[in-house]
Amino acid sequence: MAAQPGDTPTYPEGDALQGQIARRHRRGALWRASFLGATVIAIIALLALLYNVVNQSFGLVAVQNDVEPESLVRTFFNDEMLNSPNTLASEDDNELAAALVDDPYAIGFFGYAYYQENADTLKTVRVNGIAPEAETAENGRYLLARPLFIYTAQNIVRQNPAVSLFTNYYLTYVNEEIETVGYFPTSESGLATARQAWNQADGLELSPGQWAAISPAGAGGQVNIVGSSTVYPLTQHMADMFTAAGFIGQINIQSVGTTAGLRALCNDGTADIANASRAIKPAEFEACRSIGRLPVEMRVGTDALAVVVSRANTFLDNVTDDELREIFTTAETWAEVNPAWPAEPIKRYIPGADSGTLDFFSEVIFNEALEDLPKDTLVEILADSISVGLGRRLEREQRFYDDLLIFEDPALWEEVCASDEPATGCTLGERSSYNVYELVLERVVNPDVKLSWSLYDSIFRRADIELQAQREYPNAHLEFRAWLTPDFLVSPQSSTPEFAGVRTAILGTLWVVLITIGFSFPIGVSAAIYLEEYAQDNWINRLFQTNINNLAGVPSIIYGMLGLAIFVRALEVLTSGALFGQVEANTTANGRTILSAGLTLGLLILPIIIINAQEAIRAVPSSLRQASFGLGATKWQTVWYHVLPNALPGILTGTILALSRAIGETAPLVVVGASTFITIDPDGPFSKFTVLPIQIYQWTSRPQAEFRNIAAAAILVLLALLLTLNATAVLLRNRYTKQLT
Amino acid sequence: MESNMVVESGRVGELNMAAEKSLRKRRRPGEMLIQGFLFFCGALSVFTTIGIVYILSTESLNFFTRPLWENTNKRLAEDISPAVTTFEATSSGKPVFVGQTVRIGNELMDVLKVEGNLVTVARGFQGTTIEAHRAGLDLFRSNRVTIWETITKTRWEPQLGNFGIWPLLLATLTTSIVGMIVALPLGLASAIYLSEYASARARSILKPILEVLAGVPTVVYGYFALTFMTPLLRAIFGDQVQIFNTASAGIVIGILIVPLVSSMSEDALHAVPNSLRQAAYGLGATKLETAVKVVLPAALSGIAAAVVVAISRAIGETMVVAIAAGAGPKNFTVGQDPWLGFVFNPFIAAETMTGHIVRISGGDLSYDSIDYNSIFAIGLALFLMTFMLNIFSQRIVARFREVYE
Repeated sequence: MAAQPGDTPTYPEGDALQGQIARRHRRGALWRASFLGATVIAIIALLALLYNVVNQSFGLVAVQNDVEPESLVRTFFNDEMLNSPNTLASEDDNELAAALVDDPYAIGFFGYAYYQENADTLKTVRVNGIAPEAETAENGRYLLARPLFIYTAQNIVRQNPAVSLFTNYYLTYVNEEIETVGYFPTSESGLATARQAWNQADGLELSPGQWAAISPAGAGGQVNIVGSSTVYPLTQHMADMFTAAGFIGQINIQSVGTTAGLRALCNDGTADIANASRAIKPAEFEACRSIGRLPVEMRVGTDALAVVVSRANTFLDNVTDDELREIFTTAETWAEVNPAWPAEPIKRYIPGADSGTLDFFSEVIFNEALEDLPKDTLVEILADSISVGLGRRLEREQRFYDDLLIFEDPALWEEVCASDEPATGCTLGERSSYNVYELVLERVVNPDVKLSWSLYDSIFRRADIELQAQREYPNAHLEFRAWLTPDFLVSPQSSTPEFAGVRTAILGTLWVVLITIGFSFPIGVSAAIYLEEYAQDNWINRLFQTNINNLAGVPSIIYGMLGLAIFVRALEVLTSGALFGQVEANTTANGRTILSAGLTLGLLILPIIIINAQEAIRAVPSSLRQASFGLGATKWQTVWYHVLPNALPGILTGTILALSRAIGETAPLVVVGASTFITIDPDGPFSKFTVLPIQIYQWTSRPQAEFRNIAAAAILVLLALLLTLNATAVLLRNRYTKQLT
Repeated sequence: MESNMVVESGRVGELNMAAEKSLRKRRRPGEMLIQGFLFFCGALSVFTTIGIVYILSTESLNFFTRPLWENTNKRLAEDISPAVTTFEATSSGKPVFVGQTVRIGNELMDVLKVEGNLVTVARGFQGTTIEAHRAGLDLFRSNRVTIWETITKTRWEPQLGNFGIWPLLLATLTTSIVGMIVALPLGLASAIYLSEYASARARSILKPILEVLAGVPTVVYGYFALTFMTPLLRAIFGDQVQIFNTASAGIVIGILIVPLVSSMSEDALHAVPNSLRQAAYGLGATKLETAVKVVLPAALSGIAAAVVVAISRAIGETMVVAIAAGAGPKNFTVGQDPWLGFVFNPFIAAETMTGHIVRISGGDLSYDSIDYNSIFAIGLALFLMTFMLNIFSQRIVARFREVYE
């Protein structure tokens, strides 16, 4: 009670106290939030990591083929048609028409114009119930029809008077002239739309439906026209008339195909007008806009093929496209195709291979996928396109036919198969059709991924991507690609990312892990038993324990150097298999084998296994041991029959966790000398090896973006593998905990 | 009474003596064998350590004793026969010194005396064959990499004979420091959150996620650094960030270490008895004050150990830096290259010690080359650094641990 007022510190009271409390609470809440934030950041990092990998594993790619699969299919069916019996092929339509006239069992097809010239002696056949007429052709209901367009751009029309005049003249007279070239005219409304587009492009303020024909007399300048070979004769005709009408400038017309024409207009900017036998694609449209050319589309007509028979033919009025397929290829008599028709042989009159007409017909009628072609055809395509040397190599891997050699000389084949090391083709069965298709895809079509985009971009920036692909690789097509496919898992390593897979890496990982576990599990558990059950507390055992703890902290790369010096070099005679006479004559592995890698990783995870096993053994209640000793068991009997079985789930959990560490390790294996490129499956502990993380590392280090994509796919495989292992460990742990409680 | 007792116990003794033959502990050779095997397995880890130390030391010794032949650009001015011990060399080129070894053709010679252009040598040094040499042959002199050179030079250019460790060491330090800047606050804060704040349910969700983060292979983190972190940094800081840079590698190393720091620190925080917290609450401390001013200091030894182990892990981390940090040592010249703008600039590519080992050993490595020896020398430095850090951390725990009932 001797308190002196002077000694008492001044405590805040009233509002000041409330304020101080509030301040402390605010500070507490703030820090609490930041502690939580730090934890959340770690989780965000994990999510970002997973997002990044998935993002790179899927997405759009721009693929450019050496040979388009469609053209292989088309060539195949062209040949089918040309080689059918009773077939006359001619580039001269008059010849075809003349031959068809008198024969009631003959059939042929050519441009509608030529039919019209011979309408009195020939008649057209409806296809799928639709007759070829201007209207059905224009709206696309008639199967064998395609639209004809010319494309230019607004600023070209405004800046180049010659282009303006020519297109104006074109649209003025095309409907009068088109039938002389042999195409269907555009409908009134179609022409009006084209004229409206021209008015807009030219900047003429006319009301819809009005048209001002401008005379070209005396005008000069230059017009460059590039594009479709189908539109070419029409444009050429219009150009001739244009010149006749008094144009004194120059008109250049090139016939190079629609796609090339639109590229010249929209990408290179070299053409003023593009002839096209299909509508412009969105990506081409964007490409035009991106170089400042707003495309102007003008429909100028329709091209249709007429399937014709003689007027003397009484039975054929309508065919389906399925029937057409048979009629022009395999069928010999009409009755074969349709029992209602006479059993007379079919005589076929078709345009020659040089004409676009045949291509058009086979594209429309036989639109099959390359994959669906018969095996013989695929083998033929392959044989036509690859070198004999490569063909022999493929044949030695696996034969194309059991009873026929395509590339290999029969005598040489016998020799190879009789030698000490027969090729795998000697024993394997023949290749499946799908297998040959894959070879054609890889060796002939050879799709090359020119650009690839992430999943995020593919979804949210699709328009930009299409534009970019069109601008940089106009010959490529965009497709969505999952880099992680079943094929990716079973294909061996390849130098082209499109065909590379992780088969060798997965097998390598399994082999290495097998060695690792075989080495470190027994030794690790034994060491743990020694330290927990036998070791007395003396300096040497304390040294063991300290040493094990320290080893767990040694960087993994140091283990790699240990492995390189000991297993690869010093023990080469053992690890290369030379000691067991296992070494293959042509191997270059030396000591850089699966065995070396497995042992190195074994040393690496040994401390982890020991520490985990020690904990599991320590957790076994000592009453169990006492009871065992009490019944007269020896030390080892106690350990073997009582301690180990009880500690086993814990030991296994720890071992699995250690294993997943070994599976993910990269650095030590790089140092030990993983192979950079192997395509052969590892077949034993003395093989050269690569493992999943090594594969990921190598692919990541490549500059090309596509290797990043497959690296991401390989990461997904690795993570899935680790996740499975860890889930097993967790399950094991849970079960174990349940049992004890 | 007393004598009775003696007799009693004597009788018991006699009984034992009688049963001795059958009840004595039998020798069990099988058990001995098993115990021997178990001991051997325990000892194997010691052999591993010895192996590591032995291999790294002998190969490093080779690194420091291996002659590096350098063309002096001096030529023999005259033909010499096997008997000649003093000859004239051209005056151009680099000088040779007494005590050096020179090489002409395949023959090694020990330099005994140099007077102007006249060189006196002992022929056939180190058992090489003494041969006649013609005028015009190049003189090579042998250099050795000295430890002094290694720790003073600031360029690592094996093809030029420069073996200064600093570019590699500084790159390792840069990535490690960046990593620790990321890992320490995040790891510690999340440890405090998990141990002091989180409910049991939150812990049961958050801890497994951190464990997953710890289980992701480092090569995946490398991929992450190159394809995510670097583009992110470039988006933020612009083109001054190179495609390969130590900053992104360092940040990702930090992320990779967070679970380690977090779980070790959390263990330490968890071990602090609740009575301490309750005492603090009883004195009116808030949760924050309890956590930071009471629990944290009490767990300091464990946390310090976590930090040291984390540093050791950051230094030894390999794949992230091999993929994302750069594939060439960032050589520099003191006084010429700016310290902050270049040498310590984390946005510039630089190869770390571990990155260098991986790059060299991943290529076509010839066992009989200075490159091969050099990676072991770097490995030795790495091993010593991490080993000492690990020992240090164990010492911290042992010495400063607060023991609670």
